[in-house]
Amino acid sequence: MQPVVQFENVNKYYGALPAVDGLNLAIEPGQFVTLLGPSGCGKSTTLRMLGGFEQPSSGEIYLEGKAISHLPPNRRNVNIVFQDYALFPHLNVGRNIAFGLELKGLSSDAIHKRTMELLALVKLEDFAGRMPDQLSGGQRQRVALMRALAPDPNVLLLDEPLSALDAKLRQQMQIELKTIQRTTGKTFIFVTHDQEEALTMSDVIVVMNKGRIEQMGDPNELYSRPRSRFVANFIGQSNFLEGKALSVDGTVATIDWNGTAIRADVNGTQPAKDSPTTVALRPEALYCLAEQPQDRFALKGRIVQRVFKGAHTALTVDLENGAQLHLQLDPVALSHIGTDEIWVGWRERDAVVLAD
Amino acid sequence: MRPYFADLPKTALGAAYWLFAVYLLLPLALMTAMSFKDASFIAFPITDWTLNWYAQVLQDKQFIEASLYSIGIALATTAAATVIGVWIALLVTTEGIWGKAIIFALACLPAVVPGLINAISMRIFIRTVDIPTGTTAIILSHSVHAVPFVVIMVLTRLRSMPANLVDAARDLGADPFVAFLRVTIPYLMPALLGGMIFCVLTSIDDFVRTFFLGGYKPTLPMLIFAKVQGGMSPEINAMATIVLIVTAAVGLYAERLTRRSRN
Repeated sequence: MQPVVQFENVNKYYGALPAVDGLNLAIEPGQFVTLLGPSGCGKSTTLRMLGGFEQPSSGEIYLEGKAISHLPPNRRNVNIVFQDYALFPHLNVGRNIAFGLELKGLSSDAIHKRTMELLALVKLEDFAGRMPDQLSGGQRQRVALMRALAPDPNVLLLDEPLSALDAKLRQQMQIELKTIQRTTGKTFIFVTHDQEEALTMSDVIVVMNKGRIEQMGDPNELYSRPRSRFVANFIGQSNFLEGKALSVDGTVATIDWNGTAIRADVNGTQPAKDSPTTVALRPEALYCLAEQPQDRFALKGRIVQRVFKGAHTALTVDLENGAQLHLQLDPVALSHIGTDEIWVGWRERDAVVLAD
Repeated sequence: MRPYFADLPKTALGAAYWLFAVYLLLPLALMTAMSFKDASFIAFPITDWTLNWYAQVLQDKQFIEASLYSIGIALATTAAATVIGVWIALLVTTEGIWGKAIIFALACLPAVVPGLINAISMRIFIRTVDIPTGTTAIILSHSVHAVPFVVIMVLTRLRSMPANLVDAARDLGADPFVAFLRVTIPYLMPALLGGMIFCVLTSIDDFVRTFFLGGYKPTLPMLIFAKVQGGMSPEINAMATIVLIVTAAVGLYAERLTRRSRN
């Protein structure tokens, strides 16, 4: 399938500083794609270049196979939902949504019909006559979304549109956004620094750092198979086990970690013998037992801190080999542990070798 | 708010204010009262009341002509000053323009140059470039004087405008010109209306510039000045009262309009 959006060796410099550094990215149509990264990682610049508000310093951007870098924003069939919504304060909700349709030269009947259709999609039919400052944050958000969808763009760009909403509303809007994306079948490109948002909504997450793509994949893959320390740290939390590679057998590497031989998935890397190797391990992937198990791998340790977090409890465990691990246990698992003397282990496929 | 001068009794502070208010309003009240006096001698007591002076003023061809002339000049001034003022405000807020501070300072200069100096220099200037005294010269000098007020009001509004609004319009298919007409102008409207009404009022009120640059045809302030030279009369009071009421009404309307569109 032809990608709907393609970045080809795109660079963007501000002075000598690269904001986007050699970006190559192809986005399949109909997907919910999230550009995820910390502030200054180049995700917003990427979005603004696609919208036409920034010009690449070099490289080319293609929309449905056509080069668009030279086109002004008004001649690109993409629309943006801005971070602060940017609703026109002098126009009511209906006229805001109609803005792009009027500029397309549609008849007033067609405009009215489309506007009402879109308002119905977010259950705001009765609000067509309201002014933007008479709306709640969530309603403004929906109007901004519908205004951007109204001209029927190839791709909808969303620039951290949920960041101004409170936590509860944000979760509700995440589901709603995902539903609207499915219903309309449009390609959504969503920019955020919030990993939870990215995991909830995306078909594909593109993790960016320092103007480059760190890793790209579906949420599950990114979470369970982070390729770099940055990704393992930015999405969720990880234990980092630093050791030396002993041997590689197929997809499993054996690593000397503080004198203990541990096994981990090579995760696409090829660690050379005796090279320093880091293994990432999710706190919730660890199991914790009162007795030494006969059938499973486990290391002896001692709980030095317990922090109650509601749905789970965070434990810090000092192991006999001198290392420290962070664990997350649900209440059921926790109830099986009596004393602070415990055995900690993990399945070898849950431990992944990092590329850096 | 923290009360200032807390050791002074509040009644003293209030009384001082009311003294000022009386001083402010008493002359206007006197002038208005005298315009209704049925005698040509301006002094108390007023024994008989009449509307004759107003009837006389409204039938006074000179007064009507001078009023229309003043209004015409004010409208032309407003049109010119608004276009120039908005232009300068846009220039000052555009990124990457060199010497914004200088542009802004120059635009504001006419507001602080004394009217008399402005008038004399304009008089010399129009003589040099062969513009005759009269309507054109008056409009030129009034416009220059009015520009700073438009610039300052529009600039304040423009600076509060989210940059994303124009981006959103462009994104939805508007070229820069359409975005300006359909988003920027409506956003600026309260400031534009306020600035325009201010232009009209200062132009109608202006005496010094008009006096130095005018031709034989009198504007309203010049007509009233000429009449006062021939001695005060209740007719002048009636004229002044009409001007007072009309300008106050326009000013209040403008204030209401800008406040409503700001909310």
